Amino acid sequence: MIKKKAILRFDSSTVEKPITYYLIKKYNLWINILQAKFEPSLGGKLVIEIRGDKRQLDQAFAYLKEQNITVDFLEQEVSWNKIKCNHCGACVSICPVGALKINQQTYFLEFNFQDCVVCGYCADACPVQAIEIIF
Amino acid sequence: MGKLKRTYQEINKKIARKEAVVMTAEEVITLKEEQGIEKAAEMVDVVTTGTFGPMCSSGAFFNVGHSDPPIRMQKVWLNEVMAYAGLAAVDIYLGATQLSESERNDYGGAHVIEDFIKGKNIRLKALSGGTDCYPAREVEALISKETVNQAFMVNPRNAYQNYNVAVNQSAKKIYTYMGILLPDLGNANYSTSGQLSPLLNDPDLRTVGIGTRIFIGGTEGYVIWEGTQFSPKSIPILEKSTLVKRGATLAVIGDLKNMQPDFIQAAYFAGYGVSLYVGIGIPIPILDEDIMRSVSIKDEEIYTEILDYSCPHPEKPSLGWVNYAQLRSGQIEIKGKKVPTSSLSSYAKARIIAHTLKEWIAKGQFLLQEPIALFSSSKELHRLKSIKIY
Repeated sequence: MIKKKAILRFDSSTVEKPITYYLIKKYNLWINILQAKFEPSLGGKLVIEIRGDKRQLDQAFAYLKEQNITVDFLEQEVSWNKIKCNHCGACVSICPVGALKINQQTYFLEFNFQDCVVCGYCADACPVQAIEIIF
Repeated sequence: MGKLKRTYQEINKKIARKEAVVMTAEEVITLKEEQGIEKAAEMVDVVTTGTFGPMCSSGAFFNVGHSDPPIRMQKVWLNEVMAYAGLAAVDIYLGATQLSESERNDYGGAHVIEDFIKGKNIRLKALSGGTDCYPAREVEALISKETVNQAFMVNPRNAYQNYNVAVNQSAKKIYTYMGILLPDLGNANYSTSGQLSPLLNDPDLRTVGIGTRIFIGGTEGYVIWEGTQFSPKSIPILEKSTLVKRGATLAVIGDLKNMQPDFIQAAYFAGYGVSLYVGIGIPIPILDEDIMRSVSIKDEEIYTEILDYSCPHPEKPSLGWVNYAQLRSGQIEIKGKKVPTSSLSSYAKARIIAHTLKEWIAKGQFLLQEPIALFSSSKELHRLKSIKIY
């Protein structure tokens, strides 16, 4: 099983399609919706966690491409500027999944991107704007 | 009090010979635990402290030089942030929290100060009514570290001795100077370097007073006065306990031109506004065993109060007391609920500051200055008696 987090972007022509249904039904994927934002006639964005085998995931992404839905994987979407970061930890308590921690020995901040659901709370909480969510 | 007596003069002679034994307020905890107070006091000459937190009551004076023809500046903006010009012709004071008048609400005085320290050009605009001796009515110029005559930071209130923990008991997320506070006790924010914090290591202000030489923003500076809202009186917080509440603060000065971007950083708190991270380190001379006892205090022994920031009044409801070891562990318990904690001040940076100051002293580059005057220990705070309030 492979786990990936992705942002699916829909435009006005694709926004009405029941894409999640097809991903589950046709490709046997486990879909966890982390965030969804849609304007019915304009388009929208779906942040999902997908689990499935490699072959089926590849087929699913090919299908999304065919449907004109842009897929971006999430690793690149949270940017943590380690030089700007002063390791205060203001982001730690606001993170809903515990992806941000202050190391109890070094007292430097540690960011576990694997757990991150890209909710963006940390970017709001960071007093020095060292975390940015790039959508 | 034990038998050890050390003077500033003796310590400075050792520093000049590069023989002084210097430790950080964190390192000395282990030494005291292994050797005891008496032995530790004998071994160590100076203990260094550090803090790096958002300190709103900060700002800087600039003398930008005279133009030709000259102007008596009456209104001044630096990168569209208004500075105070009600001084002599080209002297101005820029406050850290002043917001930009442009569309950017996340840029302010603190960012101008940060840009200035980084050596960037700052756009100055000044207006005046014009006088016979200062005929110019409007001037625009680029100023920087290289062009101004003086630029010195004067912060009316820095280095709070201790600060409360902020939580939110309401059902709505709130945006405060203590960061974003989640509803229903969703998180708890605090802002002190605890066992490394300067004034928690000299609780009775025996060595920190007017004239004390300090580390500020990566260069040396001085304590110039008691800070605003100075309230050093120790108030017992629980019966049958040695815990006390203290709130001393310091007014400090330092040369902006020599400061380093690593130790001064602009901050923007979403929904609140702009502030400035200031790095301060204060050396504490071990004059006797009592001072060694004070500097070896550890996070477990320093308590602070949990206050509900959803209450919009100065007297906020208290939800009890916690120590800094609990806070720093990442989780505390309030009313039986496990609440994740965040610090707004950086312990990692506070450590770096204490170590940097230690190195300066050990290398003989930084001598201790005995205070010219010590602070009163009995001041109390007054509340503003408003005639009208909306």
